[in-house]
This record gives sequence, structure tokens and C-alpha cells, in this order.
Amino acid sequence: MMPTQTQLLLRTLLFWAVPLLLLALPLVTNAYVQFIANSIVIFALVALGFNFVIGNLGQLAFANTALFGLGAYGSAILVNSFGLPWIVSIPLAGVAGAAGGFLASAAALRGIRLYYLAIITLAFGELMRWLYVHGKSVTGGTDGMGLPAQSLFGFSLTDDRAKFYIFLVVAVLLFKATLNILRSRVGRSVMAVRENEVATASLGIPTARIIVFAFMWSGFVVGCAGALFALHTSYVFPESFGMLHLIVSFAMVLVGGLGSVIGAVLGAAALTILPEYLRSFPGMEELFFGLIVIAVLLALPDGLASLLRKLSPIFVERYYRE
Amino acid sequence: MLMQLTISGISQGAIYALIALSLTVVYRSTTIVNFGHGDFVMAGAFLSYVLVVLLGVAFVPAAMLAVVAMFLLGLAFSRGLVRPIRGGPHIGFALMCISAGYVFRGIARIVWGREVLPMPRVFDINPIFIGDLIITGDAIFILSTTAIMLAVFFGVLALTDIGKMVQAVYQSARGAQLIGINVDRFNDFTWGIGAALGAIGGILIAPISLLHPDLGASFLIKGFAAMTLGGFGSLYGAVLGALILGLSEQYAGAYIDSALIDITAYLVIVLVLFLRPHGLFGRKAIVKV
Amino acid sequence: MSNLLEVEGLDVRFAGLHALRDVSLTLAPGQIMAVIGPNGAGKTTLFNAISGYVRPSSGQVRLRGHDVARLSPHAIAEHGIRRTFQNGGLFPALTVLENVLTGLHAQTEGSLVDVILGRSRALASERAMIAKARDLLSLMQMEHMADTRAGDLSGGQQRIVEIVRTVASDPPVLLLDEPAVGLSPLARDQMMDIINRMAGEKGVGILLIEHAVELVMAGADRIMVMAAGQHIAEGTPAEIREDRAVLEAYLGHA
Repeated sequence: MMPTQTQLLLRTLLFWAVPLLLLALPLVTNAYVQFIANSIVIFALVALGFNFVIGNLGQLAFANTALFGLGAYGSAILVNSFGLPWIVSIPLAGVAGAAGGFLASAAALRGIRLYYLAIITLAFGELMRWLYVHGKSVTGGTDGMGLPAQSLFGFSLTDDRAKFYIFLVVAVLLFKATLNILRSRVGRSVMAVRENEVATASLGIPTARIIVFAFMWSGFVVGCAGALFALHTSYVFPESFGMLHLIVSFAMVLVGGLGSVIGAVLGAAALTILPEYLRSFPGMEELFFGLIVIAVLLALPDGLASLLRKLSPIFVERYYRE
Repeated sequence: MLMQLTISGISQGAIYALIALSLTVVYRSTTIVNFGHGDFVMAGAFLSYVLVVLLGVAFVPAAMLAVVAMFLLGLAFSRGLVRPIRGGPHIGFALMCISAGYVFRGIARIVWGREVLPMPRVFDINPIFIGDLIITGDAIFILSTTAIMLAVFFGVLALTDIGKMVQAVYQSARGAQLIGINVDRFNDFTWGIGAALGAIGGILIAPISLLHPDLGASFLIKGFAAMTLGGFGSLYGAVLGALILGLSEQYAGAYIDSALIDITAYLVIVLVLFLRPHGLFGRKAIVKV
Repeated sequence: MSNLLEVEGLDVRFAGLHALRDVSLTLAPGQIMAVIGPNGAGKTTLFNAISGYVRPSSGQVRLRGHDVARLSPHAIAEHGIRRTFQNGGLFPALTVLENVLTGLHAQTEGSLVDVILGRSRALASERAMIAKARDLLSLMQMEHMADTRAGDLSGGQQRIVEIVRTVASDPPVLLLDEPAVGLSPLARDQMMDIINRMAGEKGVGILLIEHAVELVMAGADRIMVMAAGQHIAEGTPAEIREDRAVLEAYLGHA
């Protein structure tokens, strides 16, 4: 069932009510819970960006982990070496991520698809990670690089509560923009390519450019998230953008639901809260996230979002708006 | 110098060949690219390590046991995890493979901890000296084992009914079904073979390198680079591509910059797919749209 | 000069195979030309060559005098030659309305930036396109299915939605690859009716691959017969019925 007009209105209200209510969150959290809440906001963005390529475009996006790193390093470098205020570095980190997305997917313009494209993004991502480790003079190598304390309009941004508000604003903007895209001819084309690229081209849609755009938008969102992450942890290590991050991102997308925007939030929330205590056992996180993805693929292939859709048509995602 | 590099390039390439070949075998019969294959290879090496070091089994029976175990694991993976999601989107297969890989990696790390472990030396084969040239015992061991494996592999394909079945399924899974091949079971079997071949690669490399749970990622990239060079889906191409990759790593590392050994494979993938998408010998990787 | 589409000396070679030999045809606005011939005659290859999915080794495809051969498929579609696919080209996970909207992609206005920022320019055009898509669906009595997933439709409904999607942008030329295959007799008549209306009311020039001979004889203005990659005969249905070459192609040396 599709949502009715009233339900659509309700959904719009819900979209704005959630962040508004979250504005009150810092009033009731302790330091630890606030830190987790900040992580969830960032990972919701990571999942949103990943999902745009994996879920909506239907291509594997191995490079995205490295693009998240590109955003984080980009932000830290802009702040440290160029003296830019951190807040200004956010959109620039996004642009860097988009540029990385372009490079990772440019082979699509030459007709490369699916597995080959996935392998290129894998190689590209690994190459970037190799650069993070070996480009010592710029990235600090395995030691990583720190981000000095930041402030905005005279307010200090060292407290997680203060950070939360900025993260929330960035997240709302990027979620809104992604929904705008998905509910337009561009978003429909992205999904059409996933469903049947040959038929998509027959409608006058330049499919290769659509593929590259999807990687770029994904890179933009993930790059912005990287800038937030740099402030969040105030330190940027290559390890944060390693193999573990990849499976965590895949798991968030799948648990939430392939191609679902609400799913990105659900997946990020579920998987940031759950495995916190696994962190002290080496290997447990990999095992956990690996098993989660397997379980979801077997038992709930459309993720938590599909449960919500069964609950109410409000959660059925439409790709147009009147 | 050049000859020495060539020897080590070929023995590295031999191991890559097993990995690329095992990826290709699965790809040809199931059209699935096993993005977790590096971890299957690691798991094979890991199993042999556990048997030899922790349980005190002699190397040869330990290696055989590990290969058989990996064969069964590949079979079980296909049956239990790949078959059930057949109706879903193709991307599901890739995610399933990746996740299985992470499970192996997690288990290995839980058992191994954070250490990097040396495998005890297996054979004391005396090195051969030819003038200035030294062919180490390890190289002899790797090369002779790989040569035997490849001979058996291609011999079986060329001379038996299995070879014909492989060809039939590769041409058309539906057609193969029609002439009475149980494609499901055949695919399970192929997964088993792929896992076993990969494990052999892992076991061969274990004694000459340090073992750690993250070994898989680089195996995977090398396998892909070899396949890309040789042309995706081509069995001979996989072997040839692997040898070329092994040699280029050694030459580039020695004559240009030692850091290149690490990243040759990445560069090969990016360059080949940009410049000559169908590889040196293979079919086209491009879709015309 | 009133020809809408002119195909001249089209040749297609695959490795070792001469799939299309020197095929020429002309199509006027509002004309329905059926392409018939035994399996393997090169009918679909002809469509693929005209619509850019296969690169012709020589020959021209002129749309209103403008050569479009060797452009990419999406560029040819944008010029106004649109096609359907033999085994169906709908996007199963998208709804019927969303499917039809993809056919209006090129008509929808607003830059990428307008879209991302949700500017009114993009939204207004989007709204107009949705209205147009709904109108088209209601012409086919399918407006109540606008929000159904395309994958959940019956085979016949899918064919109709695919045609609606293909004609949504008012293309001057339409290539229909077996649009009636697998349809019930009733749905077939409905399909022919739709095709006739598009040619008659909108002046669309239509090339039609069809195996059902009665359908072709009743519905087409002209018939072109192909065999072994060649154009072997062309004429009105009545002429074709009498043609020896056609009989031979179908009954002779198979």
C-alpha cells in the first residue's frame, strides 16, 4: 500500500519532528551516551552515502571507506595546514569525497560495470589507504594526525553536546538533499540503472554519467561525514578507515534495508549501540558484523525498513513528489 | 640479478596463479566473484598452521587435511549460504562472500590474537646453485607443487567428463540443466574446488611469509589483478596474468622503487581496466550502453 | 523529403557473422511498418543497429535527414527514436508511475543543483510531468495502478506500461519488438488498438516486429520481409501475401 495524502503530511511532520526532538537530547544524556549519539549521527551519514551506491545504484562501493577517510584527512589538513575554520572544511571535505568518487567510478564512462567496477573501487580504496599510511609528511602515517580544539562564533566545540548540534544540522541537510535527489528524475534514473541499464539508456538517460554521479554524491555525503568524524574523535588514524569500517558500513546498510533512507538511520543506530562492548576483544567485531550481514541476507533481506513498511504505509518510500 | 628476480617473480606468480585460478573456477560456473576469497586463502593457511604448530601434525598430512577441510567448507558455504539467496539481487552474493570472509578473519584473530606468526620451516630442500643464481628450497617446493597442481587441474579439465561439464555450465547453465547436469550440486562442487585450490595457495605461502588474519585482503587484490591482466573468466589467462604480475612486482620493486611491490597489483587493476578492459587475452569486460 | 526515418545500406558484422546486409527502409509519419521474417533473419539486430545498441559497420540511419547512426543508445533515444524490448524492459522494483516518469526524464526541467536543493523550478517541472504521466495512464485505464510495483503486474499490463513509458516523451519514431508476445487475444487486440492510435492520432512512425501474421496483415500499412540478414521484399499486406520470395523465405530452404 502506498501512503495517502494525510499520511504523506504526517511523514513530512515526522521528518522534521525527529531532529527537533533530538535538539533536547543533550539535556538528558551523560558524556558517554552523548558520545555514542554523536557516533550514530555520523554513521547514519556514512550509511546514507554507502546506501546510495549499494542500494539505490546497485553497485558495490568498496572505495567509500577510503572516501570517508579522505573527508576526515581533508578536514584535518585544511584546519592544520591551511588554518581554515573546521566548519568551512565540512563542504570542502565533501567536495574531496565527491572528487574521489569520480576517480573511483570514472571507468564507468569507458563501459566498465559491476564486478570490474567493484574491483576498481576496491583497488582505488586500497591505494588511498596505502597513501594514508605511507604519506607520512602529510597524514602523519600510522601515528595519524590530530585536530586542534575548535570553536564557532566564540562557542567552544570541545564538548560533545556542542558538537552534537552541528552534526545534527549537517545530517538533516544531507538527508534532505538525498531525499530531494531520490524523489527526482535523477534518483529514478539511478534506480533504473540498477534495475535494467539497457532499458534505461533507451529512454534517453545517459547511464554512465548517472553511475558516476551516484558515486560522487555518495562520496560527497561520506566525505562530509569524514569531516564530522575528524572533530568527533579529534584524531585521524588510517585504522579508522580500514577493513573493519567496511563491514560495519555494509552491515548498517543491510540491517537498515538496501536502498532505504530510513534504513540508514535505523542501521546506524542499531549497530552503533549494540557492539560497543565487543571492542575490547580482538576479532569479535569482525565475527559479529560478518554474522549480522549473513543473518540479514538470509532472514530479512530488505532490512528493518521492511518491518516498518509493514507497520504503516507512512514508511513506504516513494520516488516522486507532487 | 635479473635471473634471480625472475625466479622469485615466477614463484610468487605461481602462488597468485592458484589464487586467480580458484577465483576463476567459481566465477565461470556460478558468475559469482568471491569477494571474500582472500580470507578463504588465509583460512587454509591458518588451518595448516593450527594443525602443524598447535596440534603437532606433520606438515604433509596437515596440509592435506586443511585442503580437504577447505573443500568441505567451500561446499557448505555454497549450499548453506549461496543457494538460499539465489532469487535476490546479485549484489547479495558479493555481500555474502565478503561477510563469510570477515567471519573467517574474526575467528582467526580470536585464536591468533594480535600476533604475527611465523610458520616453522617445512622442508629442508637444499638450494640449487647455478653460477651466481640461487634457487631456494622454498622456491623449488612452491614451483614443483604448483606445477603438479596445474597439470592435474588442466589435465582433468581436458581429459575427463568433468571438463565437459565445466564447459557446458559455463556456456549456459540452463542448457546444462537440460542435458541432465545437476547445476546446483555442480556449483557446490565448484565452490569446494575453488576453496581447496585457494587453500593450497595459502599453505604454500605460509612457510615463506608471516601469517596474520589480514593476509586475505592482499591475496584478493593479487588474484583480481592477475585475472584482470589475463582477462576475466579465462583459466589460462589467470595463470599467465599471475606470472606476469609476480614478475612485474619483482622487477618494479628492484629497478624502480621497493614500495611498488605493495601497490603493483592495484596499479595493474586500475591501468588495465582503463586502457584495455578485456585484459590481455580475455573477453570484453565492457557493456555497451 | 517527407520521410521521417531513412535507413540506408545498413550493415552489421559480428566476429565472422554477417548479421545484417545492406538493409534499407523508409518510414513516413503515422506509418506502421511491420518487419517479419523467420527466426535469425536479423529483425532484432536491425532494431539494435537503428537504436545504437549494435554498431553498424556501414550505412546510415537518418532521422528527419539527420544521421544518428553510431551515436550512443541514449543519444539516439534523445533524438527521438525510442524502442521497447522483446523480453520486457520495465523496472520491476519501481512503481508504474515511477516507470512512466523515467520515460519523461529528458523533458523534466531543472538543473542538478536545482534538484539537490529542491528548488521550485525543479519541483514545478516534476509536478507537470507527474500530471502528464497520470494522464497517459488514464488513457490506458491504468491510473488506479499508478502506485503498484511494476514487477507485480501481469505480463500484458507490463507490456502496456512499457509502451506508455516509451511514448511518454512523444517520440516521432517508435520501434516495437514483439509487443504482443505472450498476450491473450483480447490484450493483443487492445495492444494493436493502442499502436494504431499512436500512429493515427499522433503521427508516430512505427516499426513493428511481430510474429502473429493475422495481426500484421490487419494492422500494418506496409510490411518488410527479412531473411538471413537481408531485406528480401516489401509492400502492402496484400502484395506481400502474393510474393514468391516471401513464401520461399518461410517455406523454402530453411
